[in-house]
Amino acid sequence: MSTTSNNTSAIASAASTDELAVQMIDVNKWYGEFHVLRDINLEVFRGERIVICGPSGSGKSTLIRCINRLEEHQAGRIIVNGTELTEDVKKIEEIRREVGMVFQHFNLFPHLTVLENCTLAPIWVRRMPKKEAEEIAMHFLEKVHIPEQAHKYPGQLSGGQQQRVAIARSLCMQPQIMLFDEPTSALDPEMIKEVLEVMVELAETGMTMLVVTHEMGFARQVADRVIFMDQGQIVEMNTPEEFFTNPQSERTKLFLSQILH
Amino acid sequence: MPATTKKLPWQPFHRNDMLPPKPPPPATTGVLGWLRRNLFSNWWNTLLTLLGLWFIWVVASSLIEFALIKAVWTGEDRNACLPKDGVEVGACWAYVNAKFNQFMDGFYPADQEWRYLTVYAVGIALLVPLLIPKVPWKGLNALLLFGAYPVLAYLLLYGAPSLGLPIVETTQWGGLLLTLVIASVGIVISLPLGIVFALGRRSQLPVIRFLSIAFIEFWRGVPLITVLFMSSVMLPLFLPEDVTLDKVVRPLVGVALFAAAYMAEVVRGGLQAIPKGQYEAAQALGLTYWQMMGLIILPQALKLVIPGIVNTFIGLFKDTSLVSIIGLFDLLGIVQTSLADAKWSTPTTAPTAYLFLALVYFFFCYGMSRYSLFMERHLHTGHKR
Amino acid sequence: MKKIVALALGALMTAGVATAANAGTLEDVKKKGHVQCGVSQGLPGFSNPDDKGNWTGLDVDFCRAVAAAVFGDPNKVKFTPLSAKERFTALRSGEVDLLARNTTWTMQRDTELGLNFVGVNYYDGQGFMVRKSLGVTSALQLNGAAVCTNTGTTTELNVADYFRANKMQYEVVAFEKADEVVKAYDEGRCDVYTTDRSGLAAQRLKLKNPDEHVVLPEIISKEPLGPVVRHGDDQWFDIVKWTLFAMINAEELGVTSQNVDEMKKSTNPSIRRLLGVEGKFGENIGLTNDWAYNIIKHVGNYGEVYERNVGPKTPLGLARGLNALWNKGGIMYAPPIR
Repeated sequence: MSTTSNNTSAIASAASTDELAVQMIDVNKWYGEFHVLRDINLEVFRGERIVICGPSGSGKSTLIRCINRLEEHQAGRIIVNGTELTEDVKKIEEIRREVGMVFQHFNLFPHLTVLENCTLAPIWVRRMPKKEAEEIAMHFLEKVHIPEQAHKYPGQLSGGQQQRVAIARSLCMQPQIMLFDEPTSALDPEMIKEVLEVMVELAETGMTMLVVTHEMGFARQVADRVIFMDQGQIVEMNTPEEFFTNPQSERTKLFLSQILH
Repeated sequence: MPATTKKLPWQPFHRNDMLPPKPPPPATTGVLGWLRRNLFSNWWNTLLTLLGLWFIWVVASSLIEFALIKAVWTGEDRNACLPKDGVEVGACWAYVNAKFNQFMDGFYPADQEWRYLTVYAVGIALLVPLLIPKVPWKGLNALLLFGAYPVLAYLLLYGAPSLGLPIVETTQWGGLLLTLVIASVGIVISLPLGIVFALGRRSQLPVIRFLSIAFIEFWRGVPLITVLFMSSVMLPLFLPEDVTLDKVVRPLVGVALFAAAYMAEVVRGGLQAIPKGQYEAAQALGLTYWQMMGLIILPQALKLVIPGIVNTFIGLFKDTSLVSIIGLFDLLGIVQTSLADAKWSTPTTAPTAYLFLALVYFFFCYGMSRYSLFMERHLHTGHKR
Repeated sequence: MKKIVALALGALMTAGVATAANAGTLEDVKKKGHVQCGVSQGLPGFSNPDDKGNWTGLDVDFCRAVAAAVFGDPNKVKFTPLSAKERFTALRSGEVDLLARNTTWTMQRDTELGLNFVGVNYYDGQGFMVRKSLGVTSALQLNGAAVCTNTGTTTELNVADYFRANKMQYEVVAFEKADEVVKAYDEGRCDVYTTDRSGLAAQRLKLKNPDEHVVLPEIISKEPLGPVVRHGDDQWFDIVKWTLFAMINAEELGVTSQNVDEMKKSTNPSIRRLLGVEGKFGENIGLTNDWAYNIIKHVGNYGEVYERNVGPKTPLGLARGLNALWNKGGIMYAPPIR
């Protein structure tokens, strides 16, 4: 791993594709005229925990949303689990089955109970028998510490509880990669902790995680790598220790000074 | 910090025992409290209340006098309902009684009445459990109601000589039977069709989107009367001479497509109200387009627009009365035709007939409206938005 | 815009004529086993369902007469109730074989629409009804009256013509529906109620005190109502036309449904020809020779049908007037069968 290199654009990795969960090669994306992702090159190894931070509008959410094709990239290649993302709907669905995602606003299905939220995809996408799906769902609801809420509707839960359900819902598909898009940004301060705890526990299981967040404590605690993005490009990438104690880029220093007081 | 001699304008305070809740003041609760708050809160509201009560009294008392007190309940012909000694009589229910069978089924042969009564009975037996949320086996129930029942209803209503059921041509159908047939077929066709066109209108594929928009805008841009005239007057001229489309099927198709266009717009409104995050969450879980729509988006969107959907249903139910102008004897048509019977011509025959009509239409429309309110409350899962 | 629609409709109508006219209606009727007859959706005395749902009326009985002539069975007829707007299309498109729907015979309809009127089964005309208390005995005394009528019909135009021709002033109180008109008249919002005489008789029944009203003698328009068939099928035209004539001739000759069997033994050559005892008049128009016998036996002669549906003994109580036979003060006249 060439973590000390400043040059992020030319990683000629020797790693075999088996070891790579995600591979992004010269990825570019525009919203109309606006160049939102610029020459992104990134390799994510299996079991790696990566935290992505940066000012708003820096393209960090767009980056991870490209990985499960919620956003379409217009140039470059994205290979997830050895499958390249193309127009092919079958391949997109195949990749989405293996990539879980947690959103800023939870996006639970309000018309379904917590348990139904968790069993829906396993039953319909994995064709799992209902009973088995419910067992798995209860297993993961226990993991996120809210099995007793299984028969409530999302609207009856607090924000922190909802986000933990959202995590459990993704885990029920037993994905190989988990994407977190600012999972704590919409939460009241007293609820952030309970969600981060669950994420830390998840990290300890060895899940491959890409987390967009401003929770630098979390980054220090679990991340293998921290990526700083600005203006649609990767500005700095380093281990947490180096990143926080010895930032190289001026932009990184400015950003850290703003959020770390 | 130096000790200050200046006195604070407030006292430091803390609480260890929390206050228990207390009941509200009595004047704001109970019947009296309610009356005072809602009806007599000030002189202006009091005046409005009294005026309203007076108005209700005037309308209700004259209606009750006409419909009940002065009404004629029995009689053989118009003589029963004529003014007696210069005193006007009220509603001529004897006439409704004499024509009741016609109002119910038009010209359906009397010895075959059991057939449509069976259709009603089976329909109610299948519909009621489906409407009550607690009853299980919804899937099987729906399959029977929307799969097997239409076939049964068709065989019974129209007939099948091979089964020993003589054919009753649709021209003999009429009255409430025809109204219910047109309304229920219209409802059953328009909802799924409307959903398809609503999805089509939001489709990524330009051809499908264009066709959906064209369909919706065409039917929305044409009055139903025009549609009905087109179907009954123009269509026969276009068709080859030996092909005659059934006189009932023509407006049936017209009404169903017309309602479908409105339904599509109602459903589209619901689809637009669903946040993007719901689509993204469904996609991120790997659901296909149809799974996403069928399991996540439509259940929420349709729930949001239940008032609009039921509105369209009620509109459709009432619009069925327009078929009377193309020579079909729906409930309105047969009642108006019965007014042409000189045997029952009296000053109160027409008011009685229209009062009867209003009651029947109100019964069905109000029923639908109440059920939609119930469903809205039942489906409310407490999500804030 | 209206013109374009009218043109388009006109074009369609001609197209309709072209396709529908070539059929042999009699063969079709025999093949399907019944006469399909277009009637009104409900007009007192002309076509309306009774309490049991059976169609009755002057027009309805004419349909039955045609069925009796063709099949010897007056019940081999099916009724298609038609609105005023769709009646001609239904006939032209072949949906009905015959239209007996109180249709006024006018030149335009007879010549331009691809139709043939077979004759007149009821001479109607627009009349006036007033309160007896008004003391009026003639329409010419109605100067300055308020007149109740239907909007947008020829009745409104006829009134205008009549009052202008007689240099009288009047005020129109018009409504969309007949029920509204009669209610307004009954409430005294106008002095005069005008519509066709048969309509006056029917609407009069809805008045609180029918005896306090009187129909004035003047008739200000000609409304000859008659059955209609398609252009271009002369055989069917003949059958329907002579069904009407047979009913009128039967009344003139005194042949009724009661005495028709005895009348077969009559020595009067006119009766013998009518009832098919002599000659092959039925076969000549594609029917059996007892065609007229069947009409009279099962439906009755014109007078019987009139009395049964609209005559003085019915609630409508219409006197024969113009519809009496030519030799009894009216103008009902049929060519002889010979």
